[in-house]
Amino acid sequence: MANGKNQKYYDKPIRILIAKPGIDGHDRGVYVLARAFRDAGMEVIYPGLLPTPESIIETAIDEDVDVIAISLLNGAHMAVFTKVMNLLKEKKANGIAVVGGGIIPDEDKSKLEKMGVTGNYGPGTSLNIIIEHIKKRAYGAREEKWGKSKKTK
Amino acid sequence: MGKEQKNEIGRVISGIKKGDRQSISRAITIAESAPEMFASLIKPLYNPKKEARVIGIVGPPGCGKSSLIAMIAPKLTAMGNKLGVIAIDASSPFTGGSFLGNRIRMQDSLSNNKIFMRSMASRGAKGGLAAAVMNAILVLSSAGYDYIIVEPVGSGQADVDILDIASTIVLVLAPGLGDEIQAAKAGLMEIGNIFVINKVDLPGADKAERDIRYFISTGPAEKRQQNIVKTSTVSREGIDELAQAIIEHEKSVDKNEFIKYRFYMETLRIATEIFSEHIDHLKKERPKWLETSLSEATDPYSAAEKIIKRIESDEKL
Repeated sequence: MANGKNQKYYDKPIRILIAKPGIDGHDRGVYVLARAFRDAGMEVIYPGLLPTPESIIETAIDEDVDVIAISLLNGAHMAVFTKVMNLLKEKKANGIAVVGGGIIPDEDKSKLEKMGVTGNYGPGTSLNIIIEHIKKRAYGAREEKWGKSKKTK
Repeated sequence: MGKEQKNEIGRVISGIKKGDRQSISRAITIAESAPEMFASLIKPLYNPKKEARVIGIVGPPGCGKSSLIAMIAPKLTAMGNKLGVIAIDASSPFTGGSFLGNRIRMQDSLSNNKIFMRSMASRGAKGGLAAAVMNAILVLSSAGYDYIIVEPVGSGQADVDILDIASTIVLVLAPGLGDEIQAAKAGLMEIGNIFVINKVDLPGADKAERDIRYFISTGPAEKRQQNIVKTSTVSREGIDELAQAIIEHEKSVDKNEFIKYRFYMETLRIATEIFSEHIDHLKKERPKWLETSLSEATDPYSAAEKIIKRIESDEKL
């Protein structure tokens, strides 16, 4: 909100869903990220391996997360991330930001950005960079739901 | 409340009336993260006739609560119930963050059966629940859910707050947790309406059952018939029996009486919250009148009485 009356809400922990849609069983990275997000004060929801894009969107809506973080290392990101974004639009879910990560070639990054999947960080990225990006997107999502806060103005 | 918030609350209320899932979950977010807005949200929605039955699944960490819920939830929906699940995990006392992992065991079962599920972090609440659990129950009840399973944080001996909200409490234990002395201890062991020994595929299950039977046999005669269900989420043994035991116990509960009790406990909780908000306000700033009464008071009790009088007479704090 413009005058920051809603500041309390902005200070509450960020809720984030981490998921690896599609056939990709490399979950070590997910646990590293989950731990880092938890230690950054976020509430991290991890639904386990092999969720479908449909179940990711259902989960994100039930859990009312601020951010969905999706990652793939198997090369299927264009197909699967697109599906996630389409479903999100179909369900008219507002106030949920999507960030991506994994093995994503540079030429795909701008296409993903256009779709609304931002970040798209690869292996070796500093955790701080990822966390800062997620915070920015989460506050953006909260603005969509509740109007501007002092912090993000 | 600002205009944007009022609009959002209005949208959420009409969404819940239409059964819109995102509105239901947004209402729970308001309960969790913007509780000062919750009253204006729930007042137009609340209907005592719609209050859901709440089943608590309690037990120590790692005893298999989430896995059991994944298996009994579809049984309850198959009977025609609209079911919601609220599962709570601990928040870090250091960073406030939380890893909400209950879904891992339940995801497929929930998705396949269209069950609403919400993970909650305890956010510093003691007693095994989160501060917003009761309000989340009000939201789901208003949205037409008739059964809600609540899974508190993996319980310690004294985490018994679930008593205030659940009319059936399933206490889940597993082999290897301790002997008959542990079973005899007060607190958690007393609150179960149904005892479950899970993981009976593991060694030690018979001994665990003996210890619990022994504990029950030392109690009052009318409670000696208490149910012990042996389950395994690996072999699926005892799952039907547990679902049946829950339904049977719910039949034995006078729902209206219990709802009245929960209403009463809820009223006390809200009153406490409002009261402590007043006190929190005084912690942040010390108004002039308080300075005066502090300097005039002969002892801290008299000063505290002044504050209470002021709250009672609705004067500005």
